[in-house]
Amino acid sequence: MVKSAFIVALALSAFGITAQASSAERALRDLLLSRQPAQAQDSKPTSQGKPAPSTVATPPQQTPQAQPKRRPRTADLLGGLLSFVAEPPQTLEEERNIGRTVAGSLLGAAPLVHDDQLQRYVNLVGRWVALQSERPDLEWRFGVIDSEDINAFAIPGGYIFVTRGLYRRLNSEAELAGVLGHEIGHVIRKHHLRMMQQSRALADLGAVVGKRMEGGSAFARNFMGNFWEALARGLDKDAEYEADRIGMVLAARAGYDAYGLPAVLQEIGRVSASDSRVAFLFKTHPHPDDRFAMLSEAVGSRLDNLPEGKDLTARFYRIH
Amino acid sequence: MIRDDQLRAAASTAAAVTAQVPRGAKVEVLARQGGWVQIKVSGQTGWVRMLSVRTTDTAQRDVGGELAGVIGMGTRQADTGRVVSVAGVRGLNEQDLKAARFNAQELERLDRYVVSRDEAQSFAREGGLAARSLDYLPAPAQANRQSSPWGEPQW
Repeated sequence: MVKSAFIVALALSAFGITAQASSAERALRDLLLSRQPAQAQDSKPTSQGKPAPSTVATPPQQTPQAQPKRRPRTADLLGGLLSFVAEPPQTLEEERNIGRTVAGSLLGAAPLVHDDQLQRYVNLVGRWVALQSERPDLEWRFGVIDSEDINAFAIPGGYIFVTRGLYRRLNSEAELAGVLGHEIGHVIRKHHLRMMQQSRALADLGAVVGKRMEGGSAFARNFMGNFWEALARGLDKDAEYEADRIGMVLAARAGYDAYGLPAVLQEIGRVSASDSRVAFLFKTHPHPDDRFAMLSEAVGSRLDNLPEGKDLTARFYRIH
Repeated sequence: MIRDDQLRAAASTAAAVTAQVPRGAKVEVLARQGGWVQIKVSGQTGWVRMLSVRTTDTAQRDVGGELAGVIGMGTRQADTGRVVSVAGVRGLNEQDLKAARFNAQELERLDRYVVSRDEAQSFAREGGLAARSLDYLPAPAQANRQSSPWGEPQW
């Protein structure tokens, strides 16, 4: 039930992604609060018969390792409840603040590849694709990070990272545009901010409001731990499928071949799931074959009359 | 084929339909052109929509799927985020991310590559890219969905 409500919330966001919640969104929250607040991440339709949680006093400290697999965690329940009450930190400054903290942490795990031309190139392609979105003037930053993993990351505020392992598998500028378009989709739909709202990072998120977060502080480190923990559980699958649809459309709007992203999904679908380089990607995303099938379903004959875009294979900046 | 489609003489809906290719048919992919792939099916060659054909090896995927299930079980219980990693290769999993220290220097380096609106536009012009309008794609209806062969993720 709550999962479908989350989807509704995402759909609503498509119409009003600006700072304030619409009255419809508030009405939705009221409606949800009159029902049972369940946690959102792994909710299944079968959760309907459970009683609403009666306590919010359980300490937020939790050790996921010690928890039974399917039991909703109190902190998650609390997060699920609060997410429909409290406004998330949605001013641009707050989003930027969170983004810098998360981006700095990711770069701590894997620094930028030392290749100025490469980094400049992905910023040119990425900014051009982002200009086709509803948030063209966010402080977009793109980077290729030094990891053999095959993955890409979107961070609130407009930070997008692609691993060297993924970049190396790309064959054209259109494919890069599709991948960046998917990540841009997460940012413009604020999927990660919504994710944090629904996890215990919400409490931290509340504390971030109106504060400058120093990257190295204990508070920021704690916040980051919670952020990555929530990220490792993965976004809602529908958020991933939505980002795929956005990725294709943004690439097409930018004049590229719209089919770069599905081509990349085919490519990474060939990597064995037992390969450690795709373990984190496959853990946090639906399988590439399922994503491809969902795109197939969504596109149908809708793009039949779209003139073929450019793939710009010759201009594509290759690395080894 | 992951959906029924029509085989056409050229990569366009304006081209003549030469055959029907049903979902499940095994085809050989010869080439891709934009949203179309040239295929060979029962001796006939023609074009179908690129998104109608899955080119990944199902046999390999099924094996991978089982392994993914095993890894998934582990990560959902005691070994959150722990995966087998190859020695000497920098991984990027939950543990690596949680252990990471904020890197202000790299963040400043990233800022140096920032591209302005004007720079992006002239880069696009150089590549012959022209912006065009296109609506976002709506989500397909829930009822049409195929679920993953190894079931819903449990995390």
